[in-house]
Amino acid sequence: MLVDLNRCVGCQTCTAACKQTNATAPGVQWRRVLDMESGSYPEVRRTFVPVGCMHCEDPPCADVCPTLATQQRDDGIVTIDYDLCIGCAYCIVACPYQARSRVDYPNQAYPGRPRMKHEQRTEHFERRRVAQKCTFCVDRIDYGLANGLTPGVDPDATPGCVNACIADALVFGDLEQADGRVAELLASHHHFRMHEELDTGPGLYYLTGPRS
Amino acid sequence: MTDAPPTGANRIPTYCYQCVAGPDLLKVRVEDGVATEVQPNFDARDQAPSGGKVCVKAFGLIQKLYNPHRITTPMKRTNPRKGRDQDPGFVPIDWDEALDIIAGKIRQIHAEEPLDGSGYPRIAASFGGGGTPTYYMGTLPAFLGAIAPIDFGFGSGQGVKCYHSEHLYGEFWHRAFTVAPDTPECDYVLSFGFNVEASGGVCGVKRHADARDRGIRRVQIEPHLSITAACSAEWVPIRPKTDAAFLFALIHVLLHEQRQRLDLEFLKTRTGAPYLVAPNGFYLRDPETEKPLLFDLKRKRAVPFDTPDIDPALEGSFDLDGLEIGADDDRWLHRGARVTTAFGKLLDHMKPFTPLWAGRYCDVHHKIIRRIALEFLDHARVGETVEIEGRTLPYRPVAIVLGKTVNNGWGGYQCCWARTLMACLVGALEVPGGTLGTTVRLNRPATDRNLSVRPSPDGFIDYPMNPTDRDNWLAEPDVRNANRTLVPLVANSPWSQALGPTHLAWMQQQQGPEHWPQATPPDLWFVYRTNPAISFWDTNGIVDTIARFPFTVCFAYTRDETNHMADLLLPERTDLEGLQLIRIGGTKFIEQFWHYQGFALRQPVVEPEGDTRDFTWIATELARRCGVLEKYNRAINRGAAGVPLRGEHYDFSLATDRVHDVETIWDACCRAASAELTDGQEQQGLDYYREKGFRLSPFPRLKWYLTATMEDLGLRYELPYQERLFRIGTELGRRLHERGISWWDEQLEEYNPLPAMEDLPGIWEGALERNFHIDIDDYPFWLVTSRSMQYAWGGNVSIQLIREVAGNIRGHGGLVINAGKARELGLKDGDRVEIRSPLSATRGYVVTREGIRPDTLLLMGQFDHWATPLAKEFGMPSMNALTPMLLDLTDASGSGADLARVQITRLEETP
Repeated sequence: MLVDLNRCVGCQTCTAACKQTNATAPGVQWRRVLDMESGSYPEVRRTFVPVGCMHCEDPPCADVCPTLATQQRDDGIVTIDYDLCIGCAYCIVACPYQARSRVDYPNQAYPGRPRMKHEQRTEHFERRRVAQKCTFCVDRIDYGLANGLTPGVDPDATPGCVNACIADALVFGDLEQADGRVAELLASHHHFRMHEELDTGPGLYYLTGPRS
Repeated sequence: MTDAPPTGANRIPTYCYQCVAGPDLLKVRVEDGVATEVQPNFDARDQAPSGGKVCVKAFGLIQKLYNPHRITTPMKRTNPRKGRDQDPGFVPIDWDEALDIIAGKIRQIHAEEPLDGSGYPRIAASFGGGGTPTYYMGTLPAFLGAIAPIDFGFGSGQGVKCYHSEHLYGEFWHRAFTVAPDTPECDYVLSFGFNVEASGGVCGVKRHADARDRGIRRVQIEPHLSITAACSAEWVPIRPKTDAAFLFALIHVLLHEQRQRLDLEFLKTRTGAPYLVAPNGFYLRDPETEKPLLFDLKRKRAVPFDTPDIDPALEGSFDLDGLEIGADDDRWLHRGARVTTAFGKLLDHMKPFTPLWAGRYCDVHHKIIRRIALEFLDHARVGETVEIEGRTLPYRPVAIVLGKTVNNGWGGYQCCWARTLMACLVGALEVPGGTLGTTVRLNRPATDRNLSVRPSPDGFIDYPMNPTDRDNWLAEPDVRNANRTLVPLVANSPWSQALGPTHLAWMQQQQGPEHWPQATPPDLWFVYRTNPAISFWDTNGIVDTIARFPFTVCFAYTRDETNHMADLLLPERTDLEGLQLIRIGGTKFIEQFWHYQGFALRQPVVEPEGDTRDFTWIATELARRCGVLEKYNRAINRGAAGVPLRGEHYDFSLATDRVHDVETIWDACCRAASAELTDGQEQQGLDYYREKGFRLSPFPRLKWYLTATMEDLGLRYELPYQERLFRIGTELGRRLHERGISWWDEQLEEYNPLPAMEDLPGIWEGALERNFHIDIDDYPFWLVTSRSMQYAWGGNVSIQLIREVAGNIRGHGGLVINAGKARELGLKDGDRVEIRSPLSATRGYVVTREGIRPDTLLLMGQFDHWATPLAKEFGMPSMNALTPMLLDLTDASGSGADLARVQITRLEETP
């Protein structure tokens, strides 16, 4: 996934879309946008930085997982097998991107009031008391690939946050595809990855501007 | 395909119009009769500038639908005492009882006298959010039309929290109720506090992101580093309310340092710059035709403005004969009088406003101001053209936009004038790449700016001023905010009441001015999608006033601070439950200019919650019970539901003598909409729109710009000189003085033909010192506000999802203060402080940021709730409680600015 920092406006549409797509509990945000300042008045910049699971090449969360619940697929997506996870939270501590959560409470926006109909429909008991994080909406990707769709292009095969992004700041696709949009943008833009010095090989690339 | 996609098998199209920057199209995923997810409507990907996407607010609609705090049955107040400290004692009642109570009151009012002893309507209604409630209230406008007169002048933020001066002056000068850059073509934007990334909607955000990719340079000039400043190439932290000085200095540089580089051809042919100004300040006219004169350099003599084949002088003074017509038809026949071109007057007027002068005043280095003026000129590409749909137009990719507060209150006139003049100086008004208007609301037809352009006798765009002559001036206000009496520019359209001095209606409830009808409360007040007890100023005072209103009917979503004082609560079906058609595309608010135009349907995506009712059913039932069914149906036939049911080639009119069900009404509207789009060729009904969601036809890009119309009609923009405003201002002053009224004198001073520069911050300081007997130095900070994209216009403070995601944006948690200043005061993040203005005090938590001036504090959005579920737990203060309503701070257009002076004191409380 690419994040074009020149386009992101911090609107949190991706955050909200992700929460709804994945029915995450209040306070849990698999995708969110940080509001960061650098410099000091009056020479100050404000930047909006979408974050979430980086789907690292060498994911530290997997290294510490005692039950092998966290795995990496061949396509690079890091997954959690909720049946294997024991909720020990080692991975939550190990993740340098603070991308993981453990939730012990139900998906209920208004505690003390009746649960809303859509909350009742999207209980996700399997995620209770285990680690959870962004899946890159892997069900959509698998569905798309099985049906001849292109992830990042066809909405039914694309993560919810990318579909929803009103600034088109989020771009999803196959990094390995040489003529794809992701490779093209990486070639034409300056970019960095977050905490690259940790050698985790994060799968989110931040574009900071065109090369020319 | 194999199975249904993970995105859902059942996705129902509808629209979101929670903010004026919409509407935007979306789909709602429904599973087993439960709405679970909002998604973009990619069916409109290629037609909608939004790409078929919706912003964060729309994602709150699922929770809005199922919110357990919703009111889902009509309720009646049982405690006759009203006030913040009173429990209303609401008890459920059935719809028959609720509607009969309302109908009984309306029948009684009509049987007695619809106007009270002061001449004001006994029925009033307040709606929020820039006209957006209209697209949720079904056919209620038809019902309201049938029970007129109604006072719509009790504002809930209108006039003080909109782009008010732009609405009036923009529509006057270039049919620009709202103004936008031609973002898809623009290369350089000066934005004075215009927070497009927070308030420009999906179109605005996407277009500006695309423009940044193209390399657009946007300079954001404002006291704090807003979302938009963050996305701009440069942030210039200007001293609050000094924008006019900055703009005047830009004009000074262009006029006095770069004059030969200006678009002189545009100034000569498309503006009033060459018009000759006679000794008393009015145009010199031809005595026979009364047409304004220009000095033709070819013929070496004065000629009427519309004489063919002339080369009008832009500069110079001449000794000429001619007629001058002033206010009230005062006439002077001049012989050899010294007259000067309007442009010459402008040169003299702007001479003192150097960048050095402005720099000191604005607290911005003068070199920055001069550099920006030159950048603007460099980017303007004076002389270049572009072809649009076969027509060659000037190409000027520079624009200036103005934010709220810059646009409101004193200084708004100066800023709007300067912005529009800057565009004229380089020929960038209403041309590709330049400064555009995007909608009209005071002129007709509201659906087409170009068709609303009609010629005035003087060669400008005509304007439907409220009369100020002796015979026709509305001496006795017809509504409590006196919009037509005091503000000629506000015209007389359905929007005019909301654009008058809406705080005047509230102020007069406490104390009316001299020689004025006695202020009266309305006997019956309707409220929908608005919460003035939170969203206007002096909110404590407003609560007290509302508590004195004898009978208030609130169409209520949840309990809130205004409906705490209601006598009846009526629960309508909300966004995802109701049925309604909306016009989309063409050119609309903010950046909504499309290559298509058409209609979209809002439809129930699931079964409604509780005993809520569709708004159209409510309106129809009220019409029936009030005995105004025929008038109501006629209003729908005329177009009160958004589309006339009868056209040249079609007629879907409803029978006027009977009750029609909701579906029948909207089916007729759908058919008329399709017929309107196709000149009667097609007539798709409700079923089509339910399935497809929308219906579009092409909209010519040429209509984004007024240029073609102006050229075809041979018209000029009335800039720089404001003869018409000078005339109506003089007449208005005479009318008021004839009745002994002098309390509007400061406002009358604003009617200058060339706007006067004033110490604008000093106006605030002086007004506060005079009215509150304080030393302004005891209130050292300017307090400003900023829109929150997550909340703005949405009425969604009780939605947990919105609260949660908005929390990621700093400033939603408390009072933003410059980090260095906070250190100097011994304050740190999370400290609890009292924020005190001369009017009142509130409390909040400190949020330190580098991106704000040390003399400025910021409170985002509008909070301070004490009754609305969830929101009352935020502990988030609002400047609305701190800002007084003062006549001294009301400008001639009837507007005031969101600006306060405050002191802060650390409290010994922990979060």
